[in-house]
Amino acid sequence: MAILEEPIKGVPTIKNYIDGDWVESKGETIGVVNPVTCETIAKVGISTKEEIDDAVKAAKDAYPDWKRTPAVTRARYLHRLRELLEENFEELSRIQTQEHGKTIDESRGETRRGIENVEVACGIPTLMMGETSEDIASGIDEYLMRVPLGVFGIIGPFNFPFMIPLWSAPYAVATGNTIVIKPSEQCPISQSKLAELVEEAGFPPGVWNVVNGEKEVVNGMLDHPDIVGITFVGSTPTGRDVVYPRCGATGKRVIAQCGASNMMVVMPDANIKGTVAALMTSFFGNAGQRCLAGQNLIVVGEDDGFYNELMDAITATAKGIIMGNGLDESVQMGPVKDPQKKEKILAYIESGLNDGATLRLDGRKPTDIVGGYPDTCFVGPTIMENVTPDMRVVTEEIFGPTMGVMRVKDLDEAIKICNENPYHNADAIFTSNGKDARKFQYEVNCGNIGINVGIVAPMAFYPFSGMSGSFYGILHTQGKEAVRFFTESKICIHRWF
Amino acid sequence: MKLRTASETISFVKALEEQSAKFYEDISQKYAKDEDLWLALAKENRRFADQIQRAYYSVITDAIEGCFAFDLESEKHTIETEIPEKASYSDAVYKALSMEEKIIGFYHTAADQSMALMADVPRNFKMVAKKRSNRIDKLKALS
Repeated sequence: MAILEEPIKGVPTIKNYIDGDWVESKGETIGVVNPVTCETIAKVGISTKEEIDDAVKAAKDAYPDWKRTPAVTRARYLHRLRELLEENFEELSRIQTQEHGKTIDESRGETRRGIENVEVACGIPTLMMGETSEDIASGIDEYLMRVPLGVFGIIGPFNFPFMIPLWSAPYAVATGNTIVIKPSEQCPISQSKLAELVEEAGFPPGVWNVVNGEKEVVNGMLDHPDIVGITFVGSTPTGRDVVYPRCGATGKRVIAQCGASNMMVVMPDANIKGTVAALMTSFFGNAGQRCLAGQNLIVVGEDDGFYNELMDAITATAKGIIMGNGLDESVQMGPVKDPQKKEKILAYIESGLNDGATLRLDGRKPTDIVGGYPDTCFVGPTIMENVTPDMRVVTEEIFGPTMGVMRVKDLDEAIKICNENPYHNADAIFTSNGKDARKFQYEVNCGNIGINVGIVAPMAFYPFSGMSGSFYGILHTQGKEAVRFFTESKICIHRWF
Repeated sequence: MKLRTASETISFVKALEEQSAKFYEDISQKYAKDEDLWLALAKENRRFADQIQRAYYSVITDAIEGCFAFDLESEKHTIETEIPEKASYSDAVYKALSMEEKIIGFYHTAADQSMALMADVPRNFKMVAKKRSNRIDKLKALS
């Protein structure tokens, strides 16, 4: 298969989008590196505190008019944006592959998920409707309105550079707020392209702003008195120890969606063929860099025959995974984002081995990268057996293409492992028994439960429901919960003399 | 060559439909018979490609197994569309019949492999296969 054409050519400088203008950052610039080729494909400015202040001011100034813009009109801007996103679907997808390294199928999936959030937000005139009670006492009525709050900050991660800010942004602006997005400095191009389409859709200046940068921008957002709320997706230490408490200290609303170490439980009655395909996507899709990825495989039952059959099928399929440039349509797995992330993954594998795990498939030194690209950022699928629930490869998030395998005697033991893990983002069961599936769904304490589904990614009209360890806050991004998060409930009780 | 990912399978489908559409256009030019039918088939082939591509772009997400949904041998499903210089009209019709049967076979195989994994895409493969099956009698009547 031919390699699809790269949309990013030359080495463009990614600018900030503030108050409807494209402005180059005053800070130093860093390179945006394609992890497949290790070449710099763009440069991005590391914005200063003054620049985040400029963006917040623009958003604050735009807010009163935007708030007064009727919801149906705001929805029409989003309809126009949705059209433009569809028109640019392929380019947006290829940009993600180029800046992140994921496969083109994965990027298109990400684009689709992002657009779906815009589609849901297009229904804001209905989603934002209030409630009314006539005659709460004779002649007195009460009603509730959902009103916007002001300027929100959206802090995006590197692993889904296009989609994740769209879990928040369309709902924020649809409800009448204005926003400042800080994309990952490692993958800022998708959000820059999105902002171009926002501009083309005709959003008023200041409603949608993008400021590139690193910690200084994040700190500037967290501490800014004019930002009323933050949505953050990133690691648990940052979410739990920095974003969540700092938002609390400055009186901001917060959604902090964080790390995971998800469990995939396979029952002895599972359909092996379907399960293996689902596990490949779960553990090795996006090179394992997603908070919904499987990290641990729990095989239930003492039947060695089933265990061996399952593990043979998993190992053979994982071994055959084609690694390379995601723009090559035959490629099934791309690299991880940078050499530091690769080193971290290798260190986790080493720690697992030191703790007593054994390697069934070793992907630490991949030699079969299609296209002859350097192995700088590539880690092959790695399977460790004899893993136990107390090992760091289970209790910490690896964020790479690794599978730690545990064996348990029954479903109760599997559920216990799920519930005792520090993270509670997405666990799944593979079975053909409805009773076991129901027991798993009922007893496992995590935000997203899969039944014969390895990546439990909620649709845009459902909340992205992580729980403790994987989530800090009350309401989640996406759908009706996002509408609640971005609005305040305002009550009016009235009577007429 | 193996086709494993959804992306390369959809590209293969597009190429297959385009190639077979061109074949029908060639027949319509080469023989002064049934021109409307051949051109209608060519047009329908391109609609099939659009329909399948639309289904793929609508359903592709990270929750389905896009990179692991297929295990197809492309060589088994490639079609021969060259019309020899001296081929008679009935030779061409026979070639069209064989081609249709081969494409129908491809869609059934691809649908069976991905039915549990790719949601709407295999359903569209089956729909196209069914519509193509309806062509068989029409083509047989010409030969």
